[in-house]
Amino acid sequence: MTVMHDERLRRQIEALHTRYIHAIDDDRLEDWPALFTETCLYKIITRENFDQGLPLAVMECRSRGMMLDRVTGLRRINVFEPQRYLHQISGLTLDPIDDHRVNCRSNYLVVRTMADGTMTLFSAGVYLDKVILDDEGAKFEERIVVADSRRIETLLVIPL
Amino acid sequence: MMKNEKPLLDWPAAGVTRAPYKVMSDPQIYAWEQQNIFRGPVWNYLCLEAEIPEPGSYRTTHIGDTPVIVVRDKEGGIQAMVNRCSHKGALLCVEAGGKRQAFTCLYHGWAYDLHGKLLGVPFQHGIGGHGGMPADFDLCQHNLEHIRAESFQGLVFGTFSTAAEPLETYLGPSMAAHLRRVFHKPVQVLGYHHQVLHNNWKLYMENSRDPYHATILHTFYATFKLNRLTMDGGVTIDHEGWHSMNFSKGATLREGNYEGTGIRSVLEDVGLADPSLLERRQEFHDGITVAVQSIFPTCVNQQIYNTLALRQLVPQGPGRAELHWTFFGYTDDDPDLRQMRLTQSNLIGPAGYVSIDDGVIGEYVQRGIAGSGMESSAVMEMGGHEIASTTGSRATEAPLRGFWSGYRSLMGL
Repeated sequence: MTVMHDERLRRQIEALHTRYIHAIDDDRLEDWPALFTETCLYKIITRENFDQGLPLAVMECRSRGMMLDRVTGLRRINVFEPQRYLHQISGLTLDPIDDHRVNCRSNYLVVRTMADGTMTLFSAGVYLDKVILDDEGAKFEERIVVADSRRIETLLVIPL
Repeated sequence: MMKNEKPLLDWPAAGVTRAPYKVMSDPQIYAWEQQNIFRGPVWNYLCLEAEIPEPGSYRTTHIGDTPVIVVRDKEGGIQAMVNRCSHKGALLCVEAGGKRQAFTCLYHGWAYDLHGKLLGVPFQHGIGGHGGMPADFDLCQHNLEHIRAESFQGLVFGTFSTAAEPLETYLGPSMAAHLRRVFHKPVQVLGYHHQVLHNNWKLYMENSRDPYHATILHTFYATFKLNRLTMDGGVTIDHEGWHSMNFSKGATLREGNYEGTGIRSVLEDVGLADPSLLERRQEFHDGITVAVQSIFPTCVNQQIYNTLALRQLVPQGPGRAELHWTFFGYTDDDPDLRQMRLTQSNLIGPAGYVSIDDGVIGEYVQRGIAGSGMESSAVMEMGGHEIASTTGSRATEAPLRGFWSGYRSLMGL
């Protein structure tokens, strides 16, 4: 892989990450599933379970449909206090599998702000991604969110 | 603070149909609960035997505020003790669990065996004849504080009380029967959730045993017909109301009674893009599809379709509690059933379609009752004034009245 190719790949993946965090942070969650392939895996798991090989996830979507259902849950079904997230991401590393697929790792921080102004560092951890690149651009085939804390404050309803 | 002192409050004359808001926020009441409930004649859920399979395997947990170790001893028995060195009070174990041959304090090296017996202290006899413990220092007087532990169907409970009745008697016949039903074969832990609730521990315990809210607050239940009051089901009360179980049988749903009532919980225009979330299997012969069992004071055993979990609530001051979920299956689950449990786990936990709502509702109460006077109380008259099991109707708050009955007797209120 050439240096030029590597830079282009990195830019494509950074652009995907940016679209991802803006969709969530700007409350355009309806745009969030479209960043994934139709058959995909989106999973939030705590470091406690992940490191012990325990399969239980905090949230697990095994298709884009299940991701859409999470958005429906948030918009229509569940009761929770109004809140928003701000993501910070850093430390992106790429590990290409072949010409079209890349394993990626990055760090994230999510600050949660409630309607009354309470701000907390809600979650910190790593994104372990499998990204697929085709003519339409980059998409997540898999995003596993490994949250460092085993504990969740009150509830988690907006995806990380 | 003991029972024979003047009560901290006068309970309303209406009895267990009322619960004064003050009990949810008062620090003195909280301190009294630690003594009279958590160190009183109750059995507290500690862990599963499956989590401590081998000699030396241990888990750490809490009974009320007190840190606790549960360990499998060399003879295969189960020991429980306070997680606190007898010397200066430091925690002996800080991890959630692991395996040890002995418990040695990091601070000054005091070492205890798996029964909590003090084995020795470094430099007990000084150095070169100088220093050390006095000649009459007796190791046997400094063992770890012992907790009575008993296991029932693989669930380990502990009590500080020598007066507590045997565990199975404490559970009562119907609660024991339901635990036998769920824990009828070896279980395998599939993971944990931990959730901080910004409300008094009793608000969550009320919630967990409240069949009235379940299909109103939890839109997911009613909309997708997973649990409605128009299914066969009931409320089982045991130990004079201390424990209870709410259950329903999904296959007996009768349509109607929700539609057109304006109840927020039935959304006729909402569907799932991927209904495989709700793929499920009938794995119990009694037809019960949702069963939430609450063992006084702070243990919940839940079956919501194929999700099986124990919930242990640990109070952390008057306005905070941490909920620990242990999610499990059976060791002989086939791959399809195992995947169903994991997919359905989207219903429960801190991000669960059903249980998200419970994460915040207790906090809304906690914030709502701030500033309330002595005369303000919650009202619980649904289903009358009695504390009794019912079959057929779950439009009742009898299990909450049972909780308050147990609470009042232990607190002397």
